[in-house]
This record gives sequence, C-alpha cells and structure tokens, in this order.
Amino acid sequence: MRKEVIGPFQLFAMIVLFELGTAVVVPIGLESGHAVWISILLALPGGILLYLVYAYLYRQFPDLVISGYTRKILGKWIGWPLSLLYLPVLTYNGSRNLREAGDLLISSSYDRTPIFIINSIMVIAVMYILYQGIEVFSRTAEIYFWLIVFMGMIANFVVIIAGLVQFKNLFPIHPGEWVEALKSAYPNIWIFPYGELVCFTAILPHFNSKNKIRKTGAGAIALSSILLSFTHAVEMSVLGEDIYSRTTFPMFTTITLVNVANFLQRLDALVILTLIIGVFFKMSIYCYAAVSIAADLFHVKEPRRLVIPVGSVVLYSSFVSAENFPLHMNDGKVFLENILPLLCAVIPVLLFVVHHIRRRFGWYR
Amino acid sequence: MKAKLALLLAAVLGCSLVLSGCWNSRELNELAIVSGIGLDSLDGKQGYRVTFQIINPSSSAQTTGSASNQPPIIVVSATDRTIFGALRKASRRATRQLFFAHTQLVLIGESLAEKGITSVFDIFERSHELRLNSAVLVSKGTDAASVLKLLTTLESMPSMGLLKKMQNTSRVWGENRKVTVFEVINGITGESDFTVNGVEIVGDAAEGEKKSSLEQSDPMVGSLMSGLGVFKEGKLIGWLNGPQSRGTQWVLDKINETSINIDSPDMEEDIAVNIFYSKTRVKVELQEGKPVFHVHISEEGIINETGGFVDLSKEDELQELQKEMAEKTAAEVRQAVKAAQDMKTDIFNFGNELKRIHPQSWETVKEDWSAAFAEGELDLKVDAYIRSTGMRLKPYIPAKK
Repeated sequence: MRKEVIGPFQLFAMIVLFELGTAVVVPIGLESGHAVWISILLALPGGILLYLVYAYLYRQFPDLVISGYTRKILGKWIGWPLSLLYLPVLTYNGSRNLREAGDLLISSSYDRTPIFIINSIMVIAVMYILYQGIEVFSRTAEIYFWLIVFMGMIANFVVIIAGLVQFKNLFPIHPGEWVEALKSAYPNIWIFPYGELVCFTAILPHFNSKNKIRKTGAGAIALSSILLSFTHAVEMSVLGEDIYSRTTFPMFTTITLVNVANFLQRLDALVILTLIIGVFFKMSIYCYAAVSIAADLFHVKEPRRLVIPVGSVVLYSSFVSAENFPLHMNDGKVFLENILPLLCAVIPVLLFVVHHIRRRFGWYR
Repeated sequence: MKAKLALLLAAVLGCSLVLSGCWNSRELNELAIVSGIGLDSLDGKQGYRVTFQIINPSSSAQTTGSASNQPPIIVVSATDRTIFGALRKASRRATRQLFFAHTQLVLIGESLAEKGITSVFDIFERSHELRLNSAVLVSKGTDAASVLKLLTTLESMPSMGLLKKMQNTSRVWGENRKVTVFEVINGITGESDFTVNGVEIVGDAAEGEKKSSLEQSDPMVGSLMSGLGVFKEGKLIGWLNGPQSRGTQWVLDKINETSINIDSPDMEEDIAVNIFYSKTRVKVELQEGKPVFHVHISEEGIINETGGFVDLSKEDELQELQKEMAEKTAAEVRQAVKAAQDMKTDIFNFGNELKRIHPQSWETVKEDWSAAFAEGELDLKVDAYIRSTGMRLKPYIPAKK
C-alpha cells in the first residue's frame, strides 16, 4: 500500500483549523479579564517552543508516531504504558470538543434537537472522512482553511463597520493586569490551545518535506495565534468584560448585536458554521491521533478498522462524561490544569531530554 | 436478497441523517411573531404582567386596502412570577407559538421601573431568540400595556413606529437616544447608573386601541418620546426633561444632530443653529479626594434661521454668535450635571471612566461613589464653530434703528 503523504500547505491549514477549532468560539483565559488578547499573544512563544520539541522528535524518528518513539527512547516497559495514557486523554478531549459543539448548538439554535442526534451526525462525518484517510482529510482542510478565513473576515468586518467596537473596553492595561495576563497565559492558554498540538505527532509521519517542518508549523501557529487574539479582542471590545466573562458563546453574542443599516443583521449562521467547521477538524485530528496511536500500540495493520470504534467511544463519552454544561466546563478546568500539561508538555519534553542524554552518551544500541 | 437489505439499510440511514435536521423545524404559518414586549408590575404581588404585541399577518401586508378589517396587531398578556412563565402562559390566549427573534421593543411600565428592573433582563441574555439589541423604553405615567395597544399612523406596526420615532428624534433633536437591552445590562453591571428613554401617551389611551382613532387627520391619541428616565441601582428615581436630557446626551457624546436657539444682538433666542457635529471627550480624575470631571465638547453648526438683523458677513458677529452657542450648550450640560448630582446618580459613566483609567483612585471612592459624585466638580469646556450660514449672508430683515 502506498504511504499517504501531506504537503506543507495542507499541514499549515490543518494546524490553523485545529488551533482555531473551539478556541475561537469559547471564552478562554478568563483570569486575565480584558487583557485576554494579550495573554494569547504572550502564550505564543511557549506554544512555538513546544511545537519545536515535537518537530525535533519527528526529525529524529520521521516514521514513528509518538507512541513509537516513546518506546524507542524510554524502552518498551516504560514507553508502552506511558503512551497508552494518550488514548483515553485524546478520546476524552475529542469528546469534549464534540460535547461543547453540541451544547452550544443546542443553546444557540437547535433547542429541541436531542444532543445525541447532533453529536452523532458530527461523529458520522468525522468517521467518514477518517475512513477515507489522512490525505483526503488534509485536502479538505486546505479548502476549509480558505472558507474559515473568508468567513472570519466577513464576520469581523461587519462587527467593525457596525460600529460596535469600543476601544475603551480593551485599554488601558494597567501593570497589575500584565501580570494577570501572564498568569493566564502560562500554563492555561499555553496548553489550550497550543499544547493540544501534541496530536500532530501522529500526523507528522505523513509529512512529505521534512525540512519545512519547523517553518510551516511555527508559521501556522503564529497565524492562528494572531487570528485568535484579534477575534477575542474584537469580542471583548464589543461585549465588555462583564458580559464576555458570563457568556458561554461570546462570538455568537457578538454577532447577534450586529445591525448595519437595518438590513445586515442576524448573521448567526456564520458563527454556527465556524463552530461546526472548527470542531469537525479538531475532533477529526483528535480521533485520528487516537486511531494511529492505538494502531501502533496494538499492532493493528489497518488503522482504518479502528476508526469506527474510536468514533463510537468519542460519541458515547461526549454525552455521558458530564451531566450538564456547567459540570462539563468544571471538568474541563480540572482536566486542563492537571492532566493535559502532563501529556502535552511534560512527556514530550521528557522524551526530548532523555533522547539527548542517550544520544550524548551513546546509550542507543 | 442481500442487495435489497443493503439498499433498505442505506435508505434508512440516509433518511435518518437527512430528516433529523428537521427536528427543530418551525413553520412560518405556525408562529406568532412578537414585535414588542411590555412588562408591568402586579399590584402588591411579586411578578410581572407581560404583554405581547403580535403581528397580525393577514392585515399587515404592505398592500393598501387589504381585505381584512382587523388591526395590524393583536395584544395578548399573561401574568406570572417570571417572564418566561408568562410567555408560556400566554399560549392559553394565542393560537400560535410566540416567536421572539423579531422583537424590536421592550417597554417597561413606570411602576415596575420604580420597583426595580435589575432582574428583568436575564431572559434576554439567556434566550437565543430574544435579541440584546432590542430597544428599551419606559412608559411615563402609564403602564406598558397601554402603550403597546396604541395604534399608530404612518407605520402600520406600532412597535416599529415607536422605534422609528425614537431613532428619528435621536437623530435630529437629541433629547432621546435608542437604549438597547445590551446597554441597560452594561448599565446595571457597571459602576455608574444609567438612563432609559421615556415614552408617554398624549390623549385618551382607551381610544387609541381602536382603529377608528386613526380615521382623522389629527389622531386623537399618540405616543411621544419624552425625556430620559434616571435609574439608580436599577430603580427609576426621576425624569430628565428638555434641556436636562439633552445635556445628558451631550456629556454621553450621543448627540448626532440637534438645534439650539441663540440670542441675536436685539432679541433672545431668535437664531436657530443646527448643530450637525458634536464630539465630547471626558476625563475623570481625583483631585485631593474629590472627583473632577473634565468634559470637552466640540460642536459645529449651521445658522438656519435668524429672527432679527445680524450681519453674518462680519467675522466679529460670527465670533460673538459662536461664543453664545458655546454658552447655551454649556448651560444645558450644567443643568444636566446639576440635576444628576441632586439625585446623587452618576448617569454619565464617570464612575466607569475613573475605574478604567485610574483604578487606584477608584478604590478610594468606590465605597460611596454616589456621594463623591454629588460632590464632584465639573470642568466644562465647549468649543463651538459656525461653519455656514445657509444660502444667504445678511438677512432681509432690516436692522433696528
């Protein structure tokens, strides 16, 4: 069977869509108040450094996914159980994205549709595209990248020309608030959304131009960070700190306020589409990472066969994991603070260090 | 056999995929579109009387002389402890399910406003159908229901009529402005207090519900935008009218266009200046523990009418008029600030501004901001410019000897 490959722009598009995914629609970094957009930018260098660690590991082991080189670096006995940890975390995080999308869709427009129906339709789409393989998926990402950029431009443009942006909601930033911004940038925003790029360790082995890996990734992360920061700055400047911090779906609330000349209004559909597209890509990448790590750990020859089981697990856990949306958000906070940093930052950095030491002393056989 | 089974399975799957999109379907002919909501308090009881102005589709068509003789709106009301409860209860009177995405207007009865409106707007935030940019009005001297029941001329939709009246007057006269639910919520959560547009009924409200009231050139009843209601801690405590309310708008930088009458050399207030541009910059700071409000207004106007002789071709005369214009503006602003200080209510966002720019100073006065505000000092500066005198320089009116 021919190995599936993805090109630099496809990877670029996938990273941007993944980063924007849910982060663009839900409120992030609430601790920093109206300086959230600065927190996002402050977290960017950390995010790029973390990505460079993943890229370094990929360049050392270009054919292996993270579970593969974990076993090489730490040995089979530590590496196998450690990489097994990625499976529940990736599927759970995928299901969290699905749950968020489902809940936001229900509270914003589909108020009478059961969450099961909404989520299963999305999962069916994800399963279908993953069944088609990563190449098809990356080509889809290429198309949707432009769609998202285009829609984002329209949405931001109408919000600005509607005269809703009030700079007084963003400035001035007092010295104490810089500290707050830094605190919410590290570790929270650093891990979500930048640290979540750990999923790409499962996709990188398909990348076709090894030398462009760092530039492509860093560029994509920088672009998505600028887009995220800008979008959140616009939302904050329109809604003000108080409403922004209470709303579950700031982007939706922002767009409902738009009324240009009494005829350009109710652009909610744009935001709903952004949400669906973003979550679709984010969830697919999570599922794909789970599928390929599982295939690697359990020596499954045809990873495709795992798509349906993984998708079903994600669907099921998306609605059994939390009783209601507030609980779901609280779970997310605990998860983000305690579990994700371990898998997104600690393990990769550990691998990086151990690999260096082993190579330095020639401890590889 | 197998192929048939596969086909059946595909059909079932396909249908369930496609048809589940219709789960939320609501057809247009099964909806009652609510164009305005009125909220009144109940006598001696907690809760609301909620009045819905529903568009009557059979007689609100654009074509004139429509077949039906029904009024363009139907008004339905229900009482309950909560607004949502009331809107569900209203189903006992309405044949169709109420649909709120096109609600233009929220009217608050005066008695409810006096009791407090802090808890009223939660449903507007929480619901995805109600919009945060619907306008809020307080009915002055009457209940919200009677304003909603009034039929209007020119506009067939009374809510639309009220909304347009409000937008029109705020555009050219400036005593009122469109206050949205969003702004009210920000007013409640912010450090300052806020104002909401008032509307009053002129004439016999009961007559205004009948279509016959529209069948004369001077309608017997009508609604009138009237002043700004001042809310302190969510409760209506007073009204600002005329120059006071325009002065308030001036401080808030909400004047779009307005007209002021200034004195000519021989007579009082006989020159009309149309102000077509106005910009207000506000700075608030604490000086020796006392707030100082620096308000700087720049305005530009055109002379549209003179009642006596002024030689408008002379620079000196124009300078004199500009000074006069600045003084008149300043007088209105001072009146507004004085009225607000008398009520100990910061309706000018000064508190928010102080907190935003000088958070440390804010900490020292936040405990008793209303008192500090009432003690505050106004440092007002008005720059007025007359840019044009219309189609003539000197008027035809002869100078007085």
